[in-house]
Amino acid sequence: MKSRLLTVALGILTAIGGFLDAGDLVTNAVVGSRFGLSLAWVVGVGVVGICVFAHMSGKVAAVSGRATFEIIRERLGPRTAGLNLVASLAVTVLTLIAEVGGIALALQLASSVDHRLWVPVAALAVWLVLWRVKFDVMENVTGLLGLALVGFAVAVFLLGPDWGDLGAQLVPQVPAQESAAVYWYFAIALFGAAMTPYEVFFFSSGGVEDRWTVRDLATSRLNVLVGFPLGGLLSVAIAACAALVLLPAGIQVDSMSQLTLPVAQAGGTLLVAVVIVGLVAATFGAALETALSTGYTLSQYLGWSWGKFRRPAAAPRFHLAMILALVVAIGVLMTNVDPIAVTEYSVVFSAVALPLTYLPILVVANDPEYMGEHVNGRAMNVLGTVYLFVLVVAALAAIPLMIATEAGG
Amino acid sequence: MIASDLLDTPVHDDAGAHLGWVVDLRFVLDGRPSTYLAGARLHGLVVSPRTRTSFLGFERSDVRHPWPVAPLLRWLHRGTFLVHWPDVARVPGADDDTDRGRDPVVVLRAGYVRYEPGL
Repeated sequence: MKSRLLTVALGILTAIGGFLDAGDLVTNAVVGSRFGLSLAWVVGVGVVGICVFAHMSGKVAAVSGRATFEIIRERLGPRTAGLNLVASLAVTVLTLIAEVGGIALALQLASSVDHRLWVPVAALAVWLVLWRVKFDVMENVTGLLGLALVGFAVAVFLLGPDWGDLGAQLVPQVPAQESAAVYWYFAIALFGAAMTPYEVFFFSSGGVEDRWTVRDLATSRLNVLVGFPLGGLLSVAIAACAALVLLPAGIQVDSMSQLTLPVAQAGGTLLVAVVIVGLVAATFGAALETALSTGYTLSQYLGWSWGKFRRPAAAPRFHLAMILALVVAIGVLMTNVDPIAVTEYSVVFSAVALPLTYLPILVVANDPEYMGEHVNGRAMNVLGTVYLFVLVVAALAAIPLMIATEAGG
Repeated sequence: MIASDLLDTPVHDDAGAHLGWVVDLRFVLDGRPSTYLAGARLHGLVVSPRTRTSFLGFERSDVRHPWPVAPLLRWLHRGTFLVHWPDVARVPGADDDTDRGRDPVVVLRAGYVRYEPGL
């Protein structure tokens, strides 16, 4: 009993730490510094969405033993699923680039060594972990260290804000100095940051890796329903920090160091050190997840053997795919591209790629051939359908808004 | 021949009338056991009269959820039927000169039978 309780607690803690990645960190800080908390409601919408999506794909993985992309190919047919694969891979590799860049930037904060020198080191470290470290160890260590990002929430309290004032910002409204198009563009970016496709590939494939069965359903549901909302709260704390310090000073976030400015003002060097540990762990964890997701999606589509539970020699193409993705990430980052800009684009393209990934899961979660008695109930289907609409609208609006606002101007 | 040679191909009857498109292949696992599964045998083609898009597997059962995806796909694919493989007279092939210059088509035998696509 005691060990079971421990498993649940560990799951929740890793879900909190695992929710935040470079996309969430950067987008929330950017949004907080420009819009205050007037977009915080989107984080709420995104968290409920990722809970619905992760819950369904986790359930499908646990009951049927099938991971997301196998089902996508089976249900959409080889061609549509192939297009979906190309889109998902592109977004996932883009996210991987952002995460590896994020690790490098966080290490630059800690060391003052230029981030481009850290890029190969970070990528090599990611690869070594993928190659050697066991799945649950990898998940738990990065998740727990990622909890150091609680430092942002601590900073909000230390900054001693006028809570009434901060609460009043939560009302959704377009600030006077911003246009409605830019407001909605960043709404989609925040939504895409909370609901990235790789999280679902990772979550469902991870369920297969951890050999979930129907008996693990309750645990998985609890992890999702408690861990992700708490992770969402940390996202809002990051936005609040930016809203309290950067917004009044007129500072717009375009580097990782600005993320830690409010933390430094609130808690000094010690709190910054804690937060940097969190930044490195969160981006490192997400880099592992995105790299694994490139291997998962490609292998599941093409029917290769996959999984960290197999020795690399037993899943060679799976491991080769991940190595290639990391090499691409290093190459792109070495062109001197700004990792923060890559991150900002990756979250928007996430929103574009989501519906085609989401739909097959929603369909299979209703299919008694796979799910038996565990098919979606009425409430879950209503929620699932509402989110299908939200996802389609966000996906259709994303690119036009990106062009109209020149990517948020 | 691979599955992609058949999927999305137009289907004609023996008189050349257009019947629809191949949207899925139905296999039966009753062959000799091999490494992972028993050998698969092609049982028939699922033909949809109005669209070549995927039916997302809804043809196999009478699942009505999630609304509105299921009703929409059922409406789009109304009239979908299964033809057994022996009812197929001709399929497009690499060494098939009769198709040269024309789109590849699947042609059904005269007197073919339309079966319900459900399992």
